[in-house]
Amino acid sequence: MMTLADIGLKAFDLERLPRLRELRRQSFERRPEICIERARHITNYLRYRDDPEDAPEVRQAKKVSHFLHRKAPRFPDRNLLAGTTTSKPLGAPLFPEFFALSLWPELETVSERKQNPQKLSAQDARELNRDIFPYWMDKSVLEVARKRFNEPQCIKLFESLVFFIASKAGCISHAVPTYAPMLEKGLLGLMEEAARHEVRASNEASETSRRQVDFYQALQISLKSIIAYAANLAEEAAQLSAIAEDAASRQELAEMAAVCRRVPANPARTFREALNAIWICQVGIHAENINMAMSPGRLDQVLYPYYRRDVDAGRLDIAGAMELIGCFWLKLSDNVIMVPEASEEMFGGAGTVPAITLGGVDAQGNDAVNDLTYLMLRVTELLKTRDPNVNARYHYTANSPAYRDRVSEVIINTKAVPAFFNDVVNIDALVGQGETEAHARDYAVIGCVELASSGRDYPASSSVMLNLSAPMEMAIYGGKRPITGDTQIGPATPPASAVTSFGQFWEIFKTQLDWLIAQAVEMNENLGAVHQEMMPSPLLSAFFEGPMETGRDLIQGGARYNSSGATHIGFADMVDSLNAIESAVFSEKRYRFEELVAALDHNFSGDGYEAIGRYLKHRTPKFGTEHPIARKNAQNLVRHLYTTYQSYTNYRGGTYRPAYWTMTNHAGLGGISGAMPNGRRSGELFASGITPVSGAAPELHACLNDVAALGGRQVPGCWALNIKYLPESDVGAMTERFAHTIEAYFRQGGQQVQFNIMDYQMLLDAKQNPERYPELMVRVSGYSAYFKDLNEMMQRELITRTQYNLTTGQADPFEGEF
Amino acid sequence: MPNFISLDGLKTTWSRFQRSIETEAAEEFLELLLNAMRFMFTVSHRYRENIKDFQGRYQFKSKDGGLTMAATFNKGRMTVKEKVIDNPDVTIIFRDGKTLFNFLFSPRQDILGAMLRQDIQTEGNLNYIYRFGFLAKRLQLMMTPG
Repeated sequence: MMTLADIGLKAFDLERLPRLRELRRQSFERRPEICIERARHITNYLRYRDDPEDAPEVRQAKKVSHFLHRKAPRFPDRNLLAGTTTSKPLGAPLFPEFFALSLWPELETVSERKQNPQKLSAQDARELNRDIFPYWMDKSVLEVARKRFNEPQCIKLFESLVFFIASKAGCISHAVPTYAPMLEKGLLGLMEEAARHEVRASNEASETSRRQVDFYQALQISLKSIIAYAANLAEEAAQLSAIAEDAASRQELAEMAAVCRRVPANPARTFREALNAIWICQVGIHAENINMAMSPGRLDQVLYPYYRRDVDAGRLDIAGAMELIGCFWLKLSDNVIMVPEASEEMFGGAGTVPAITLGGVDAQGNDAVNDLTYLMLRVTELLKTRDPNVNARYHYTANSPAYRDRVSEVIINTKAVPAFFNDVVNIDALVGQGETEAHARDYAVIGCVELASSGRDYPASSSVMLNLSAPMEMAIYGGKRPITGDTQIGPATPPASAVTSFGQFWEIFKTQLDWLIAQAVEMNENLGAVHQEMMPSPLLSAFFEGPMETGRDLIQGGARYNSSGATHIGFADMVDSLNAIESAVFSEKRYRFEELVAALDHNFSGDGYEAIGRYLKHRTPKFGTEHPIARKNAQNLVRHLYTTYQSYTNYRGGTYRPAYWTMTNHAGLGGISGAMPNGRRSGELFASGITPVSGAAPELHACLNDVAALGGRQVPGCWALNIKYLPESDVGAMTERFAHTIEAYFRQGGQQVQFNIMDYQMLLDAKQNPERYPELMVRVSGYSAYFKDLNEMMQRELITRTQYNLTTGQADPFEGEF
Repeated sequence: MPNFISLDGLKTTWSRFQRSIETEAAEEFLELLLNAMRFMFTVSHRYRENIKDFQGRYQFKSKDGGLTMAATFNKGRMTVKEKVIDNPDVTIIFRDGKTLFNFLFSPRQDILGAMLRQDIQTEGNLNYIYRFGFLAKRLQLMMTPG
């Protein structure tokens, strides 16, 4: 319901919200610190108190409970919400179950390293080296999988890093819990429900009921530990209030103590209680699951009843609500991931990508945009922080043009956020996965771009990240890759010299691709089995539909919907490579296949190979130009990937869902990949997400049409399309053109798009003079980052991304120099 | 033991070691590194504490098969051998000395980059590599004045 006179809320700026202004300033000044609190407590628990006879869910619950009972209550600033992800103001928690031990080589240097240092005290480094890391040498998820499955080939392929990444070695996380039942019943209410189910199950004598009893006990242990943490927060707030020097602080802390005594144990009564209850539960979830893409979801929908009630009762005004929303946004930014220096090339500069989803339609298909949607958009516009990752759903028949225009305006003003999602196509994509229409309409974005019905869908959406250049090279070189030398990796298919038609090459490519997908799926299944044993999620399960009813943990398939996500690196480069082979070798017969391969081997240098490279780069069909060959190959590849993944059933009984987002992997993997048939030289970066290759798509409308033509049921994991627009001085006129372009793209079938409103020169200047752009936020591929934090390769990729002039609809050529 | 080691023998080894890293000589670099570590474990209680309860078996091999070395850790002692050992916890196969140096020892240890470029391949438990990386870095810091 809309009651705002001005949906832009222009009267509310940071001058009028001084608390947010100050918290934001502090947030930008903070430097990340590594927090060992969780690693310490869970290691101590497992070393001294763990009972291996306990069921996996109970062991996990007790381990997390041990930590949450001891987690220090911190109040690092004047944020109105209680609770912190770590013991540091901006903390990187360590999860030794995954890759924390990769920090070991730099325990004594991480604080001082050049790129993105993370502070670690000498005392904590000593504790990690002597007490914590040695315990985990053979116990991390990957090492347990290696031992249990006897180091299969899929692990070797994964560890070579150039074929696929199996993210479960590092986390599952990536989910959208639902907080509505918790707000309504309180954690005590959920525990009572679990206790009733436990009694019922314990009266039955079957293996299933015995496991259900274990799960319900684990769930209760987990929720009780969140309540214990909230109680510790309340006590600490009360003590701080007692010794606070000024009356305002005394009052604030006393109010926080009262809130924490009430929620999340009991039902929330107010907007503030609801927000703080969600935040404390989010902290609890991060005690169990690594802080990666754990997304609060559709907060404008979940929180609206509390907001409306408070406003109607005169307890809350717009400024007060915006202050609380801003406090929540900044709480979501209080943590980063631990990134060892060695991983900076792949993941440098990434936040933790907790996604907030706004707008769209409700379960009945009606316009769901409300006052809170606009308050949250305005807070996003004012704060301009990397996290949370804010996303706007838009249904072009149900939502108003005013909403669409306002989202467009926020993107132009922030230069980067939110991302736009097309309700019509995305809802249909989820229906195609067997979700009911009502559930699909309640989708939210996970992390970068992935879709999930809120609190019903456990999608492990980053399970596989497949490098598409691997099967391309394997198809060209008979199952081998230049980077891995003479080792036979995939099936021994005919060499390029023996291929007589494009149809035959396409079949060979699919043979290699399917083989690699099978390896990636096997790796994911192996890791999934280890997660079931080592890392169940009884705490997270409490915030999903399904586990409570079935008595099964999420990791055992307890959610209403189950799937595994598989995303792809190098999509546009591989489509263009297919186009080049079809066109230059077989249709036009300009070059023999062996000539093209020789040119690849020489990286398009010398002996006429430069001319071949130029031809391939500039004279062959390109994805993003509406060329029929390019469109056909793009559609064939998307269709084949969809069909292949959907043929697999994962360890939780769900399907695999293909997607096209790349984080920063298109830079890291492009940097080490050889020359490609599309004329791309060795080491040049791949295009991001589903975006056409930089410089290959000179016309905006053709670019958008080609991408949109791929949208729909065959991309259930969604995609990241990155578009860069030249900023214009007349924001009003630009907003109008911007919004109309979105409308057209969505009506053509586009699923998602995100923007950088910045030009080549400005980004070049930011690279050369980072001190002038301390807060410059950019969209990478699905998430936002501060430009200064990105590694060299990623900065280059962002600079050279095609820049479109929205007025002319044409691309501006990149003529800068590095 | 002070943080900065001034023992003559070790300093000589260290000087040779630093010279070796200017070249592509894998054999000399690896042998000197392992021997410098072993020597430091002998003379420095603080350094030895890092392997007090550590049991680990490392196999190093050059891709061309020309070099095979092994380092084993057991009860606070390190042993270095030029041979293939049974049941290593991890095997590190490297293209040349420079890549091995970058992987283990450069000021900016390029573990992921070396693996991405296939300069280094590993078989076995990666956590043993991370621990070895710490020991190598610690040695480097102890040998560096200031």
